[in-house]
Amino acid sequence: MAVFDAILSLITLPAIVLGFIACVGLLLQKKAAGDVFKGTLKTILGQLIIGVGITALIGALSPIQVFFEKGIPSGGFETFVTYDEAVVGAVQTANLANLGAEIAWTMLFGYVVHILVSRFTKHHYIYLTGHMIWVQAGAFALLFHSFGFATPVVVVLASIVDGFYLTLAPALAQPVMRLITGSDEIAFGHGQTLLNMLGAWAGKLVGKPEDSAEKIEIKESFSFLRDMSVSISIIMLLVAFIGAGLALSQIGVAGFQEQISGGQNWVVYTLLTALNFTAGVLVLLQGVRMLISEITPAFKGIAEKLIPGAKPALDCPVIYPYAPNSLIFGLISGTIGQVAGMVVLALIGWPVPLPSMIAAFFASGAGAIFGNATGGRKGAWLGGFLWGFVGWLLISFAYKFQVFGDLSALGAVGLGFTIPDAIVPGIAIWGIAKLFGL
Amino acid sequence: MVIATLCGMGFGTSMMLKLFIDDILKAEGIKAETNPWDLGSFKGNKADIVVAPVDMEPHLRDYPAKIVLIKNLVDKQEIKEKVLGALRELS
Repeated sequence: MAVFDAILSLITLPAIVLGFIACVGLLLQKKAAGDVFKGTLKTILGQLIIGVGITALIGALSPIQVFFEKGIPSGGFETFVTYDEAVVGAVQTANLANLGAEIAWTMLFGYVVHILVSRFTKHHYIYLTGHMIWVQAGAFALLFHSFGFATPVVVVLASIVDGFYLTLAPALAQPVMRLITGSDEIAFGHGQTLLNMLGAWAGKLVGKPEDSAEKIEIKESFSFLRDMSVSISIIMLLVAFIGAGLALSQIGVAGFQEQISGGQNWVVYTLLTALNFTAGVLVLLQGVRMLISEITPAFKGIAEKLIPGAKPALDCPVIYPYAPNSLIFGLISGTIGQVAGMVVLALIGWPVPLPSMIAAFFASGAGAIFGNATGGRKGAWLGGFLWGFVGWLLISFAYKFQVFGDLSALGAVGLGFTIPDAIVPGIAIWGIAKLFGL
Repeated sequence: MVIATLCGMGFGTSMMLKLFIDDILKAEGIKAETNPWDLGSFKGNKADIVVAPVDMEPHLRDYPAKIVLIKNLVDKQEIKEKVLGALRELS
């Protein structure tokens, strides 16, 4: 019985399950013993590093939320950070009620279902974006976990939905991908798909593809924003100082230093809070990097053997070189869309996701490229805007109605999902479950 | 021989480039270590060749390694020619 308990506690420990997945993957690739050991160890360490990053990130996030609570008097609005990797990393680290292990098993069996669906339907795609495979598995496991099912039921249902998602999302985006890349070689594999498609559908209504944004000469380069440490720092400094300014306007410098900063100078405190948040994100990303760097090649190797001639579904930046101008249009209109969404949400009293440079650049940028493919420059502006605006409403909806369960109670304090490919199917399944009274 | 691939996050595009390059090296029978890097922390790491999307060029100007810039990230032919070219130059 003691042995059984030990095994049970191991297979419910997320770091160990992920290490196991990596280990099997490496063995199937016939790697040398040293490489198998190294890869397995690094995967386990990756999961543990994610936990360290999450602690730092949440630690820095709560003061920023306090700024807004103190700064907006009577019925002030709730704010939260929208960051998929942080949500999944946090709940997996907390591992309450086996949730972390359910996510890890869903990642494995969801991919098995994905390979089967891609093999036996006409949609031959291999989803290769490692962090999205992990995040989508996390979202679907959370969703079914929130209905109160037992662990095996959660893993089975989440894996089926996840597996079909991983095949059908690239298939949905492929007609637009053909327009963007001018070939049928690669597919789109990122949780942004549904809002990018919204951009493509809207683009069709407002413009013509001949009027492409790519015909305009732009010299400005925004490539420094691709450095996460820079872009997250900029946005968090802005957000923190706006919040601190609001708090100061209500409780004054003395009140701030007494009630919030524990006596520390408010400028220093706000500066450090913003940069500590960024530091937490960077640690988190280092963990994600180690976690997926062994698993992705394993998934690729196995999938290619089983589905000959499949198209790889790849991370969003693969389309950036095809439409660099649209990317910048999307960054600008996406930021405007986020702010417009925040204003609407504040007015109706819903929780407000803080602005995200990652969403503006990576997501609205991709949305604009999809919009440009069907509607030229008008489509690009609209596609980027819609990603920010509709995206922010969806993010708030999922957070407010706890579509993925009570994330704060599960360890993801003040954090919410961003990607529509998790939120939209999540809302649909959550709505059906509500009808059945779950 | 260490070949690094670079992108903003260090696990998206860089991972994809790494996988492509692994395939190329395997087909050519060349042994080399390939590592995905992120833009934020790569300067503390060492590599003989750095492969990156062409818009990352400003970040790599002072980096002491052979720099390979890729225009079309999914054009395996371009990646193959440029990476093998760089390997030939170094050997």
